[in-house]
Order: sequence, then structure tokens, then C-alpha cells
Amino acid sequence: MPLPRPGSWSLEKAAWSTRPLSFKRPIASATTPWRPAVVLDEWVLKEARPISLRQLTFFGRTLTENRLLSSANYVRTELPTRLAHRLRDMQTLPFVVVTNPHMSHVYNLYYKAFETLRRITEIKSVEDNEQYCKVVSETLQEHLTVIPRLAMGVLECQDLMRAADMDRFINTLLRSRISRRVIAEQHISLTETFNSAWHFPNAMPQVDPNSEFVGEVFLRCNAREVVEACWDRASTLAKEAYGPSCVLPDIAIEGHLDATFPYILSHLQYVVGELLRNSIQAVVERRPMLTSGPPPIEVLICEAPQHVIIRISDQGGGIPNEVMPELWSFSKGPRSHTHLENLSQVPKMAATMQELNSSHRTSTGDGKNRSYDGSLGSLTSRPPNLRLGMGLPMSRVYAEYWAGLLEVQSLEGYGVDAFLQISKLGNRNEQLSTRASMDAV
Amino acid sequence: MPARPGTLDSCLIRIVCPLKRRSRQLATATHPLPRNQPWSHPPASTSIDNDQVARLASRPLHLLTLADLVRHGRPPLSASALFTSANFTLSLLPIRLAHRIQALRNLPFIVVSNPHISRIYNNYIHSLSTLLPYQERQINTLEEEIQFTEVMADLVQTHADTIPILARGFLECRKYISPADVTKFLDEHLRARIGTRLIAEQHIALHLSSQPHCNNTNNTHYPQDGSSSCIGVIDTALRPAEIIRHCETFVSDICELKYGARPRVIINGQPSTRLAHVPTHLEYILTELLKNAFRATVEAGQSREPIEVTIAASPSPTVPPVPDAIARTSPSLQQREEEEEAITRATPPPLPPPPGVVTIRIRDHGGGISPTNLRNIWAYSFTTFGEEEVLDLSHNGNGNMDALNAISGANSSGESSSLAGLGYGLPLGRAYAEHFGGGIVVQSLWGWGTDVYLRLRGLGEMG
Repeated sequence: MPLPRPGSWSLEKAAWSTRPLSFKRPIASATTPWRPAVVLDEWVLKEARPISLRQLTFFGRTLTENRLLSSANYVRTELPTRLAHRLRDMQTLPFVVVTNPHMSHVYNLYYKAFETLRRITEIKSVEDNEQYCKVVSETLQEHLTVIPRLAMGVLECQDLMRAADMDRFINTLLRSRISRRVIAEQHISLTETFNSAWHFPNAMPQVDPNSEFVGEVFLRCNAREVVEACWDRASTLAKEAYGPSCVLPDIAIEGHLDATFPYILSHLQYVVGELLRNSIQAVVERRPMLTSGPPPIEVLICEAPQHVIIRISDQGGGIPNEVMPELWSFSKGPRSHTHLENLSQVPKMAATMQELNSSHRTSTGDGKNRSYDGSLGSLTSRPPNLRLGMGLPMSRVYAEYWAGLLEVQSLEGYGVDAFLQISKLGNRNEQLSTRASMDAV
Repeated sequence: MPARPGTLDSCLIRIVCPLKRRSRQLATATHPLPRNQPWSHPPASTSIDNDQVARLASRPLHLLTLADLVRHGRPPLSASALFTSANFTLSLLPIRLAHRIQALRNLPFIVVSNPHISRIYNNYIHSLSTLLPYQERQINTLEEEIQFTEVMADLVQTHADTIPILARGFLECRKYISPADVTKFLDEHLRARIGTRLIAEQHIALHLSSQPHCNNTNNTHYPQDGSSSCIGVIDTALRPAEIIRHCETFVSDICELKYGARPRVIINGQPSTRLAHVPTHLEYILTELLKNAFRATVEAGQSREPIEVTIAASPSPTVPPVPDAIARTSPSLQQREEEEEAITRATPPPLPPPPGVVTIRIRDHGGGISPTNLRNIWAYSFTTFGEEEVLDLSHNGNGNMDALNAISGANSSGESSSLAGLGYGLPLGRAYAEHFGGGIVVQSLWGWGTDVYLRLRGLGEMG
């Protein structure tokens, strides 16, 4: 494929647009397909329109065909816009970073998705929407490998960029990724709700006002129940990893046990799961066993008018001082070498989870048995001794996505307190990075 | 009241270092002493050349470390070690004072015109003037050293009440200067003050502990057999748990006087932890933090709930961690005790291994700090007490005693003893903690309680 001549981009653009989408140069580590930047420029100029949890649920409560199509068209333009911003970010990274095989893999995935999604014309009918949902679903599936590959790319490129810049880039990228998946999955979920009512008019009404789920949003996440469920899961995994003879700590939950709020359940389960996993691991691996058994992990749930705080306290010996400065970084840390090795084991897990994902879409009204978002699922069910080194930074991205907070205080030599603050009302917008704030940086 | 190592007792100084005249008239000062002079307008003249101040202020500030303070050896010091200490002090202080004078001069005119602020300003001028005569000299004789220590004592005494006086001054000037500017000035000023006082107090303490006539005055501060863990104002075997109990008593008393309730304090974690630090600093910080915790607990109606204090020490890098079930004391203590026996007084302490971190977590069930208030907790003079209470308080700091003060006794830094604060407790506590590389972090669980994390860096294992 000849390189475009300077000034001839319009001709090349015509040529490019007639190429079948499946055509791709084999990805070599030193070269990536040359694509004209003009199309991207147009989309980069558009601003993303952030949404709030409340809007997501409110919108989905009364589903009519019009609303569904409206939702579809919102997603139709939002996805390519948000993708375009991230693509431009990647393009401005150092050449040597983007040509890293892992980073390049992610870049090409994103570009392919962008090219596919931006071409979709206005959705005017339910059939159009069906087709659209299919395309989006496929893209979501394809992108399951993004997180592990990205993480590996970041670790391999440690010395090629300033850690602070890299962290900022990754945080923005991940935040955007969550946002795209949230709106995409929400729409797909609403489509399913709509369809099930459409095809079975005698079944439950389109909208069950008492339904606990609106799409992916679980209206009544009870903090205590979520903690208990995550605890069960984490303990089971720990037992598998450490063997049946290992004595696990107990959990003690106190505080405002009735605290309930709307949230995307899979996000909450991921973050709480990560924190509990860290605590169990610390207690089991680092604290010598006392004759009285391992000290319990204490969870406190605190409810205030505008937020709920979950505090998880363990006596696992604390976080060593040398790790603290890089605790929230994706790219640094004294153990990054081990993490890199471990990460290479995760993509295989993503592949197996894909099979499980085909049964991911349960019918609405199923309530609490929702399984995870596919990529989160693969991460959440990895064995606890597979240290990836990104549980905390990832958790923070998820926590902050709906304007929450995640903070960790270490008492070195004793244990750790983790504070997860969740905005309860659901009226805070997604925390995206706008172009303005990116340019200002 | 048993004397604690490191506290300055001006009476003791006067017994031990007699001079012809005990009054403030030092031979070299031509500047009238500020305390006797009512100022209603900015000072018209000083005895210090602006050149001097500018010259000194242009020199960089030395970042004080705990190692600096102990480098002269374990008391009692030899004469030459004392001279070294004096000269070292002399090399640092004039520069520090000059920086403060310059910072004060840069405050708005109307602020420095306030009688309280201007009084502090003149204190600094006065102190610098007492040090200028030493500029070109080194201290080489015992007489000079005694005289110098006397100057140090005067400095410490003169500036003892700086904080309440400044607080009152800024309160009166709040119309003319923004809270943000006040915080910025005070943060820098009070942090510098901590270091300056420490340098001066350390020299005085080393001097006192090295005098042969200490034996004759029934002095319990500095036993001569070298068994004291103190090097001047630093206690190398400081037990935070002990300080906490001491502060708890103090704060409980005033809490009971004010509220009629007396929450209790539970200490868990590793209570036998020891570290090398300045006891007076730790006392101040813990008193302030406990005051906050007690007040919140009682006002939230939770006085039956204990306040939980957890002490954690990072494991020593040289000794493998010993499981709790086997050893009651931390490995660091065992190693330290062995080392202390082996060491002789005269040799300077060996270079300490990397400092460990001691974390003290204070957890209360007092309802937490509201998000609105949380934004302001690090600002100086932000307090949730009413203005009358605060004005009352700073007035008390100037001499009027009420029953509370009379019973509980003001502590050495001149802060009056009441649960009501000037709003300085948190920011000043943090300044003390950060001075040697520690810090304070506050986590509020609004609707439940507050967790405060105090981190301290000691000198690690002190020989």
C-alpha cells in the first residue's frame, strides 16, 4: 500500500473508504497502517455529552419505541466521539510507545471500532436498532482483551515516558472505556427489555415499576449484601488458591446496614471484591498465625445524605513504605516485573470468559443473579495470588467514575484501611475528561 | 508534677546559669524591650540595619533533621562539644530570624500595624539584635557559652506566647486579609518557628545536662549515669502509648469540666512501640487530636463509645519481624537496649539506619466531619466554636485565668487549656508532624465518625 503523498489526502480518503473494513495490514511491531487524520479531526472536535446514573435509570424506566431509538442514536454518536478523543490521545503519545506491540494492538482495535461505528447512519426503526446492537455487542466482545494488553504495554513502556504522564493517559483511557461500555451495555440491555415485552405481549409489562434493574443499573444495591456476596466469592477463590488447610479470616460488618442506593452492580462488585481480596491476601500471607486465628476483617458502612462510605479495615501488616508512593500508578512500582509476567496469563482467562459471556445476557427481572461485565468478570475471578498490580488504580477509576472516591490508609506494621465513597443520589455526571481539561494539562 | 525530659523550665535555667542581672537588659541590645512598650502604631525604628536583615534573609534555610540535633553527642557533653553545639546553633538562628522578619514585613501594612502583630514583629527584631554581636565570633570559652545560652533562654521565653498573640491579631485583622493569605503566612511562619525553637531549646537542654552542678540541684532531668534515653529535648526511647495516656488524663479532665462526660481511650496494636522523637511535640499533637475526638464523641451523644487508638510500627529493616505471640516487646526495643548498654557517653552516636515509621490511628464514633467543614479543617483559625468563645480564649492566653486554666494548668507552649480551640490544633499539629517527615491525614465518615492517622518518623534505631 503506497504511502499517501502530502496534499493528496482527499484522494486517499476516497480510496480508503472503498476498502473493505476487514482489510488490514498485518500488524508488525514497527509499522501501523497509515490512516488519514482528517476524519478523526472532525470527531475530535465534538464534545462528549456526559450522562448521570439518574438519567440512565430515568430514561430506561418508560420504554417506548421512540425512546429506544433516541437512546440508540445517542449511543451512535457518543461512541465514536469518545473513541475519537482517545485515539487522538494515543496518537500524541511518543511514537516508540504506540509501536509497542500491546499498545499497537489496542490502538488498532480502537481504530477499527471507530471506523465501523462512525459510518453507521441514523437509526430509524427497531430493525435498524437490532442491527446496531449486534455490531456494538461484537465490538464490546472484541475489546475484552484491552485491559490486560494495555496494562502490559504500560509496564513494558515504563522507561519510555514519565510515569505521571502515563498514569494520566491510562486513567483517561480507562474512564472513557467504562463510559462507552456503560452507555453501550445500558442500551443493549434496554433493547432486550423492549424486545421481550414486544415479543411476549402477555408477559410482564414493558416496565415493571418495582423492577430492581433498569438495564445494567441495580436500583437497590444494599451495601451489606454486596459486601457479603463479594466476601463469599473472594473467600472461595482464596480457599482454592491457598488450599483447604488455610484458615481464612472472618468478616465483621457493622454500621448503617440498611444503606441502599442505585449503582451499576458489576462496578461495585469489582471494587469491593478487589479490596476484600487484598485484605484476605495480606492477612493470610503476611501475618504470622496467632493461636487465636487470623484477625477479622472489619467492614463499616456509613450512610450520609449524599453518599455512602464503605470502610474495610484489615490487620494484614500494612503496605510497605516503598510501595506507597506508587500505589495508584499503573506504570511504576517495585514489583512491576512480576506483574508483567502475571498479566500475560490473564488474556487467556478473558478468552475463556467469552464463552461464559454468551449466557451473560439474562432476561430482565432476574434480579441479583446478574453476572459481571465480561472483562470485569475475568479479572474478578482470577485466583488471588495472581498479582497484577493494578487492582487499586483500576478500582479507583471505577470508583471515581460516578464521582465517588477511593482512598487507602496504611498503618505499616499493622494493617490497612480502605475507604470507598459512593455518591448515593445518582445525580452526578460521569467524570469524563473533556477536551478543554485535556488541552489545559 | 514530675518533670519530663526536654521541657524547658526557666526557673531551672536561672538556678543553673546565674548571671549578674536576670532582667532582660542584655549588654549588647540598644533596642528598647518590646514588652515594656505599648505600641499603638507600627514600630518607627529598629536597631537593625535593613542591610543586615536582607543579607541574612538571602541565605538559604537549613533543613533541620533529627540527626542534626543529636550530632553533638549524648549528654553530658564535653566543653568542646558544647562549643560546637553553640556555634552550630549560631550558624542557623540569625538566618532563620531574618527570614521571619522579612515575611512579617511583607504582610499588609495595616496587618502589621495591629498591636499584637506588631508586638510579635518587634520580638523578632529584638531577638535578632541579641544575636548580631555574635556574628563574627566563634564561641570558645565557657563564659561565652553560658552567656550565649542565656541569650537562647531569652529567645525562647520572649517568643513563648507567639501563637495566641498572632491568633488574636489575625482575628482582629480578618477584615483586611483573606483566610487563605493568613493560612499561607502562618503555615510558613509556624513551621519555621518549630525549627527555630527546637534548635534553641536543644542547645539549652544540652547545656543544662552537661553542667557539673546539675548533680547538686536534685535534678531528675538528666541523671549522670547515662541511663537516660534523652539527648537534649529528644527522647530516643519515647513510648507513644505513655504520652497518649498522659494526654488522655489531661483532656478527660477538661472534657469532664465542660461536658460532664469522660469518654475512655482504648490503646491497641503495638503499644510497646518506641521511637526517637521530641516528647513536647508529640504531646501537643496528641492533645489536640484527642480534644477533637473527645469533643465530637460527647457532642454526638456517644460518650459511652470509646475512642480507639491503634499504634503501629513499621518493622525494623535489620531485624526480622518477631511474631506477637512470642515477644511482648518489638524487636527494635530489644536491639536498642543491647546497643545502649554497649555504647559509651563520649562517642557521638553512630549513623542511624533508615528511619522507621510509626503510625497512630485515632478512631472516634463522633459523627464525622461534614463535607462543608472538611474543606476548611487545615485552615488556621477555622474553628467550629463561636467567635466569643475564641476571643475569650485568646484573651485568657494573655494572662487572665479562669477556673479551667487554673485547675488544669496551661502547657508549656502557652496554649490555654480548653476544648475550644483557636482553630490551630489541626494545622499546627500537622506542622509538627511534618517537621521531621511525618504527617497527619484525616478521613471523615460523615454520619459515623472520624479516623485520624498520625505518622511519625523517628531516627530509627538510635544508638
